[in-house]
Amino acid sequence: VYQVFENVARKYDVMNDSMTLGIHRVWKDILVHKMNPCPGTLLLDVAGGTGDIAFRFINYVRSVRQRQLQRKLKHDQNLSWQEIFESYQNDKFNNSLGDSQVVVCDINREMLKVGKQKAQHLGYSEGLSWVLGNAEELPFDDDKFDVYTIAFGIRNVTRIDLALQEAYRVLKPGGRFLCLEFSHVSNPLLSRLYDLYSFQVIPVLGEVIAGDWRSYQYLVESIRQFPPQEELKAMIEDAGFFRVDYENLNFGIVAIHSGFKL
Amino acid sequence: VRCQQYPPLRALQASAALRAASDEHKKEPWASSSQQHFDSPPAGHQPEEKPQGPHPSYTGQGGQQSEDYESEEQLQHRILTAALEFVPEHGWTAEAIAEGAKTLGLSVAAAGLFHSDGSELILHFVSDCNTKLSELLKKEQKLVQLGKAEKKPIDEFLRDAVEARLRMLIPYIEKWPQALSVLLLPRNIPSSLSLLTSMIDDIWHYAGDQSTDFNWYTRRAVLTAIYNTTELVMMQDSSPGFEDTWRFLENRVADAMAMSNTATQVQSTGEAVVQGLMGAAVTVSNAGTCRAVR
Repeated sequence: VYQVFENVARKYDVMNDSMTLGIHRVWKDILVHKMNPCPGTLLLDVAGGTGDIAFRFINYVRSVRQRQLQRKLKHDQNLSWQEIFESYQNDKFNNSLGDSQVVVCDINREMLKVGKQKAQHLGYSEGLSWVLGNAEELPFDDDKFDVYTIAFGIRNVTRIDLALQEAYRVLKPGGRFLCLEFSHVSNPLLSRLYDLYSFQVIPVLGEVIAGDWRSYQYLVESIRQFPPQEELKAMIEDAGFFRVDYENLNFGIVAIHSGFKL
Repeated sequence: VRCQQYPPLRALQASAALRAASDEHKKEPWASSSQQHFDSPPAGHQPEEKPQGPHPSYTGQGGQQSEDYESEEQLQHRILTAALEFVPEHGWTAEAIAEGAKTLGLSVAAAGLFHSDGSELILHFVSDCNTKLSELLKKEQKLVQLGKAEKKPIDEFLRDAVEARLRMLIPYIEKWPQALSVLLLPRNIPSSLSLLTSMIDDIWHYAGDQSTDFNWYTRRAVLTAIYNTTELVMMQDSSPGFEDTWRFLENRVADAMAMSNTATQVQSTGEAVVQGLMGAAVTVSNAGTCRAVR
């Protein structure tokens, strides 16, 4: 798994775009929208190498914070001087993220490097941390994070149950587990088209764009091997999560699983 | 031996631990019923098997897991109740719910348990208010039965009941219009409508069997109209202590009584509709004056 991603790191984003015809951006947007984070949320993005989810999270929280500050401003129009003075002292005045933070954790140094570069390039400076770590054995304390996300990463984990248990461990009580992953298409017609596309087109794209069809062959096969929606839901419940639910996107090509540590 | 398959009855370990840590000694009477379902816990699913005590009270071994299990629903109920205090500041939104969850020691992500438009919070509040109203009316009825209070004439009774119920909105009045619009979403209409009708039925129930010449449906419709229109007037009201609203209420109730005293029986709910229209007209003219004043 490590070597696959070493090869793939640099071209990861380009390949994603071409393989999924750019829809992966929408999927990731939907994930963050479903999360609906409010300022002050601490997010752990596992296997989040190049930072897609992290950046979207920061954008979302920033806009929510803007709205909050605007509302506060409107409300504060009629304050006395004393109250305004106090608010200057109490407010985290310059905090555009409202104390929200993302920790991006990945097993692969190359992916993290690419992610850091991207962050610099796009101008994301505050609220981001990059940590090297294994999803089956996270280098974090218990009960730390508000949200745990793993987007297109869990199928690469050897022991999914261990990763789920780790997720449960590091989440605060009330915390949320979100998993975005390729899943099973139930519609038979679509399934055939999808299979055709996956096995014929994607490895070819892999060779053309990244010069590596083997990795993408592996990718497509690992998608087929991955447990279907209900099975993954059962595994998440086994790890101790409540209210486990999934939402199919694009008829099951991708699914978002969600669970709470209650 | 029954094996309960529904997840809601599984022990909410995290929240149970939280509540043990915050020293809650309350005896939870409902826990005893969920206790029965745990006679045979789902095989192998509970990593920590908590000893099944004969009673649900907190064992008092500081920090130890408490034995009163809570269902998801009850936890949701607690979160929503805690969220209410943040509504004046944040509105009926997921943010208020997140703040509420925070006060209970849960992560802000717990707001994800609910819809992002705050529907559940509003419905919870409405149902809470209705319960409070029921209790208030029951108490008053008891006083009357014990002879400690006079039985009120029907118009005064209705007026007081509607006023008491509407007064519960006062702390949230600024954000209430937002709540009303959410209650009217197609998704919420079944619940909000049933809450409304059960509240109205409740009031009539406690109003007793004073003859009013109305038949049951008409009574319901008339009081619903009175309630809804008074609520709308209250949204627009800027008079001190909401005097205008109470005066409006008095007039509407008087109209309703007058209707019943006329020779003709009220056969259809058409009259109630007319009342509603009248109320709407008053609301519009009030809105006009308010805008002019501003």
